[in-house]
Amino acid sequence: MNRPERNDPLDALLREQNQYVEDNGFTQRVISALPRRHSQFPLSQIFLLVVTAIGSALAISQLPLESLPALNLSTLLSLNSYVLLPWVLVFSVVTSLVWATVTVAVQWEE
Amino acid sequence: MSFTDADLIARVLSREDQNAFGELVRRHQSPVRAFLARMTRGDAHLADDLAQETFLKAWQKLQTFRGDAKFSTWLFGIAINEFRSMARQKKELALEDVEEPPLEEPAAACDSHLRMDLTEALKLLNSNERAAVVLCCQNGLSHEEAAQVLDCPLGTVKTNVLRGKEKLRRRLTLAYENYESA
Repeated sequence: MNRPERNDPLDALLREQNQYVEDNGFTQRVISALPRRHSQFPLSQIFLLVVTAIGSALAISQLPLESLPALNLSTLLSLNSYVLLPWVLVFSVVTSLVWATVTVAVQWEE
Repeated sequence: MSFTDADLIARVLSREDQNAFGELVRRHQSPVRAFLARMTRGDAHLADDLAQETFLKAWQKLQTFRGDAKFSTWLFGIAINEFRSMARQKKELALEDVEEPPLEEPAAACDSHLRMDLTEALKLLNSNERAAVVLCCQNGLSHEEAAQVLDCPLGTVKTNVLRGKEKLRRRLTLAYENYESA
């Protein structure tokens, strides 16, 4: 690794000439000219939303919606898997759909 | 609390934070603009246009900065590429050797003008020598870093630094001798 010689008068003169350039609005000009960086939104986020929607639609179509057991406090507390399992499934599907929608919306806002 | 360049770059990449990028520009504008002013032989307007393009390119390509070199070194690399592409378009700034002026040319030589002489002498170097001298001797880059910036072999950088400094010495010695004999 070669650095300028410390005792070379020419190097000293060159270093001395390397003076600070005042900003004078340069940074502001650069910032106001910044283009929007290429967003990851259009492909990946739309893909996420579409896949989640398709998955949710498939899951919902397979749910025994007509024969869902009634849900009340006593059945919840009983922890009966025959009653709770279909509801857990419904809850998972709805949650994933809401999560995907919110994620996409937040990304869009940013 | 002051953020490191790496912190600011991370903020730009994760949040597209223009304030963080502004801080990076503020920190590095001086060496980049000074370097480009040297490369354009003192054309401050052209140098600032190239510097602006340099930072806009940096904004767009920031995700390609791997962090294995200093951020300033990476910026110098973009800056020299901007200069080279402009030089290709403008024949008058093409990367060929500039003829040295005749030795009998009167030189405004006195100690207080030594700086001005150096500025003028730097303009006499070809752009490869000038870039190597300015990067290594003024900005303190190692020969290896300069080779990375200029995208050329290490030996070429060393040769250009030696040749450039030799030309500067000759020019400054001549100016000093003219002053002494006057």
